[in-house]
Amino acid sequence: MRAGPSQEDIRRHNLGALLRHVHLGGPTSRAELTSKMGLNRSTIMALTSDLTAAGLVREELPRETGRAGRPSLVVRPESSRVYVFAFDVGPDRLAVARVGLGGTILDRREAVRRRGPFELEELAGMLAGFARQMRRKTRADTVCVGAAAAVSGGVRKGDGVIRFGPNLQAEEIPFGEELGRRLGLGLPVSVGNDANLAALAEHSRGVGVAVRDLIYLHGDVGIGGGIIAGGHLLGGHEGYGGEVGHMVVNPGGRVCGCGSRGCLEAEVGERALLEAAGKLGGGQHGRDAVRAVVDAADRGDIVAQEALKRVGDWLGLGVANLVNIFNPEMVIFGGMLREIYLGSAAQVRSRMALHAMAPQRERLRLRTSALADDATLVGAAELAFAHVLADPLEVLARVTG
Amino acid sequence: MTPLLEVRGIDKSFGPVQVLHDVTFSAYAGEVTALVGDNGAGKSTLVKCVGGIHPIDAGEIVFDGRPVQVHGPRDAGELGIEIVYQDLALCDNLDIVQNMFLGRERKNGLVLDEATMEELAGETLEGLSVRTVKSIRQRVSSLSGGQRQTVAIAKAVLWDSKVVILDEPTAALGVAQTAQVLELVRRLADKGLAVVLISHNMNDVFAVSDRIAALYLGRMAAQVRTADVTHAQIVELITSGRSGDLGLKNGTAP
Repeated sequence: MRAGPSQEDIRRHNLGALLRHVHLGGPTSRAELTSKMGLNRSTIMALTSDLTAAGLVREELPRETGRAGRPSLVVRPESSRVYVFAFDVGPDRLAVARVGLGGTILDRREAVRRRGPFELEELAGMLAGFARQMRRKTRADTVCVGAAAAVSGGVRKGDGVIRFGPNLQAEEIPFGEELGRRLGLGLPVSVGNDANLAALAEHSRGVGVAVRDLIYLHGDVGIGGGIIAGGHLLGGHEGYGGEVGHMVVNPGGRVCGCGSRGCLEAEVGERALLEAAGKLGGGQHGRDAVRAVVDAADRGDIVAQEALKRVGDWLGLGVANLVNIFNPEMVIFGGMLREIYLGSAAQVRSRMALHAMAPQRERLRLRTSALADDATLVGAAELAFAHVLADPLEVLARVTG
Repeated sequence: MTPLLEVRGIDKSFGPVQVLHDVTFSAYAGEVTALVGDNGAGKSTLVKCVGGIHPIDAGEIVFDGRPVQVHGPRDAGELGIEIVYQDLALCDNLDIVQNMFLGRERKNGLVLDEATMEELAGETLEGLSVRTVKSIRQRVSSLSGGQRQTVAIAKAVLWDSKVVILDEPTAALGVAQTAQVLELVRRLADKGLAVVLISHNMNDVFAVSDRIAALYLGRMAAQVRTADVTHAQIVELITSGRSGDLGLKNGTAP
């Protein structure tokens, strides 16, 4: 066993850390990097020149500093050159984006997904087709360094297999492998749970930046969640953690897609709201149908108001449980839960006042997602960039070599 | 935590009618304080006293720890208190930048410094993550209700305000625009401003507020932390001035 990390390990770590700073924080001057990373100026210079030579960042003179002295060079990510593909597979929506280093969405395609059985080949073919279309439009000097997908279901950490996804009608599907094969870029496709990835996205680029303990709740057909504790996502033993939608809040309650009864998802999800509002099977479903109920409630429709109150009550109970267990600094409502929270906040917070313990609820901040409908896609992009940030030069050498 | 804005023991009468009785109210930096109450409870009068529109008969206004005199809207503006009224007071025939700088135009010698004003207006909207307006050179007449509200709020923020008071900002808006305005209200407070939100909509109040102050017939029934109360308690405070241990005893403040 070695006494400590080698010089090469340290350099690799520092390169990744510097790249992470400009990837998440945007253009940053060398002087700021020096103070943020706690390294000396010559080290920062050596690191930036390595990253510049690799084509991951470039250095520019700042516009005007208004201060005396030689201005410090600004390091910016090569957003238009270095990119990843991010995929999002939801019950009603398929989305693909080409996302540049630094998090800029450069190009995107979206399609409606019809609810029905998960047809792996058709779906992977379609997503890969979108990616190819976007790739054809790129300049010759651009380089794709990764690909990742967010899916609405439980994903095995090791191999990107969708183990269960009742709302996608998916079970034991080798999604990452198939999509990687179809893409034909010689890159593996990482796969993650959409709500987990959206939690990471809000944590790194959204309303939860600098918040080390947060819970993100994602409403789609069902309810997903991502728990970030001490700055890290709680994945659990095999990566299935954070399924807050299947926390039982009402034993003997409504039947859930997972086979159980009274799950948070069964009491708060799309189906529960639409059924209570008398709108189930009315032709509309998904976000549009949920928005229509919230809108009707706002206009004074008593049935819609009652439906929203009912759902808000259960949501508040679920959040109170989570707050008692995890003591987060912030709870973020994303996906359709943004509309549901804003439309039923009186119920949600009343429940919390009754059931959440005072020390946990006093300083808790309740917020809506800042990334809105892009949260899952942005999260997938961050997953795709993760290995680049871990070892920038090695990854770049592999994809260009 | 000391409040940024505090009014203590304010009385206000219009002729023989006393509208505010010994009202005490606080607003804190970084927080949204909702001001609720029935029609005629005195919400707008209280706000207008703070804004220097109505002189107060008794009591004092304390800003950032020191007692201040507010004799007119200009005094309030100089302290950093901005009020966004329901009618918004925007000029339809002017564009967004012109509206935001109305009466306080930047000049470069004798001519208006359009470039700087445009940049500052753009930066302010950007800083508030406002992405709903296409061009800041659009006339206000072409904007939707939510966009107008956004411009009015951004105008208030542009002047390095410390306290922003919003009178029913979502009253005339649909659901989608209400959501955007509520998120903007929350962001203002998260940027460190003290925000006072007057609203009749309990979902709006519970969605974004940190504290709730309930007025009842010109008296402050209670000022409580939103995390500690239920909807039913607030409704009781609004309609009867008390709820359990909270609120007025025998019609006066406890």
